[in-house]
Amino acid sequence: MRSRPALAFLEVHAENYFGGGAARAYLDALRGDYPLSIHGVGLSLGSAEGLDARHLERLAALVAATEPALVSEHLSWSVVGGRYLADLLPLPMTEEALDVVCRHVEQVQERLARRILIENPSTYLQFEHSSIPEYEFIAAVAARTGCGLLCDVNNIVVSASNHGWDARAYLAALPGERIGEFHLAGHARRALPDGRELRIDDHGSRVSREVWALYREALARFGARPTLIEWDTHIPPLAVLLEEAHTADAAIAAAGGGVRGAHAHAA
Amino acid sequence: MPTLLESQRALAAFVLAAPAAGDDAYRAIYRNNTLATLGNALGLNFPAVRRVVGGDFFDAAARRFVRAAPPRAAYLDEYGAEFPAYLRDFAPAARLPYLPELAQLEWAVSRALHAPDVPGLDGARLAALAQAAADPERAAQLCFVAHPSVSTLALRHPVDAIWQAVLAQDAAAMARIDLDSGAVRLLIERDGAGHVQVHRLPGRAWRLTERLCAGATLQSALEALEAEAGAEDRDEPGSLDSVLGEHLAAGRFIDFNGSSP
Repeated sequence: MRSRPALAFLEVHAENYFGGGAARAYLDALRGDYPLSIHGVGLSLGSAEGLDARHLERLAALVAATEPALVSEHLSWSVVGGRYLADLLPLPMTEEALDVVCRHVEQVQERLARRILIENPSTYLQFEHSSIPEYEFIAAVAARTGCGLLCDVNNIVVSASNHGWDARAYLAALPGERIGEFHLAGHARRALPDGRELRIDDHGSRVSREVWALYREALARFGARPTLIEWDTHIPPLAVLLEEAHTADAAIAAAGGGVRGAHAHAA
Repeated sequence: MPTLLESQRALAAFVLAAPAAGDDAYRAIYRNNTLATLGNALGLNFPAVRRVVGGDFFDAAARRFVRAAPPRAAYLDEYGAEFPAYLRDFAPAARLPYLPELAQLEWAVSRALHAPDVPGLDGARLAALAQAAADPERAAQLCFVAHPSVSTLALRHPVDAIWQAVLAQDAAAMARIDLDSGAVRLLIERDGAGHVQVHRLPGRAWRLTERLCAGATLQSALEALEAEAGAEDRDEPGSLDSVLGEHLAAGRFIDFNGSSP
């Protein structure tokens, strides 16, 4: 980052900047040069027992101090019984869970005094008692709370493959006007002994052809939005990342979008 | 139909359980992710411990610790307060008697690194402090608020030297360390440039510092010091006034309380 490359925005994980010191000073220096996107992973919007008030206060302090262009979190949970499980765990798609998520999104938006974006997760299991398709659930959260969506195209492909959903139908069902950002990433495929193929959202490789195809469809359907390519494990040379970014730019240009694609690594 | 809370409790129990034959490969992704992320967070907070014992040993210890004491908040820079005590009772690490103390030091370093940024004493407060200090009666009742990055540790092994040698991968320095050279008394802080510093303090200076950081009044800290004065203190250079002066100059106290004039 020392060379201040031409990026449209920078996205960082909220929880990496809850403290002070050098990390925070670095963020404060960079935010003078780039619009910021604060991407949370620990708020646990789907927790049945309520939000961690301290976590929300820390997020509010960070948002107030850094004035980001975007604030986002996930449609998932990670805290139960006061224990944090450090992963984006899946919610049963039920009316009860929908009420809980909506209540918490409203609580967060009220505390931050701004709209947030909710990201669709990669999931590896479905609950037998789920009664609402995920795309309907996330659209309902947006309609009820006024929040926006962070459409992770890779997560749609991963979840659709793991559960036998139709990724294109999922995308088509999203309320496009609510989408405020796209995420792209690579995922891993693992063959299971029983012949099934498990897809794992590891952000550790190039964006797959399937994901690029679905992204082009999203651009054609909804128009261009700020787009982030996530790459968190097996990080490649910068040239590979820039190639991926150029592919996203080319897709946006081909779709006739006026908004330049934006990319940064979420550290 | 299970409630949301029941579903979440059930999945949490699976994630924190040891792997078993026949576990669903899909569900196991959540366990693997959780343990990998939390093990990685511990490795970032205890880098010298990790280097001393090696990655495989550390990861195995971290997995057991995560299952025994999962984090209570999603702010992982604050995860690991109980790890030093866990290592003390961790039989496979018994051949490294200094390891729990090295972890104690790394925890203090991590806390210093991530402590919130807080304003120090400004000109007006420093002037008020000087005024209070000039009156012996008021000076005795002064107590201080330490910067959140500041902490004190008394350890039986020279782990400050071990910590530096391990992180610098300096085998010669490591070889020169005498594990039986005696206790060290440390002050840990983040300096103005954002770097964590670990200072060794002489016994009396350290004990005064420890009490003041804990919020004791100057008078009670000094009285306790008198009561426990030992032979080792006789040769200690420097006055206690200068210890306090150094702390103030270094910004280690961010506020003070005392009776009003």
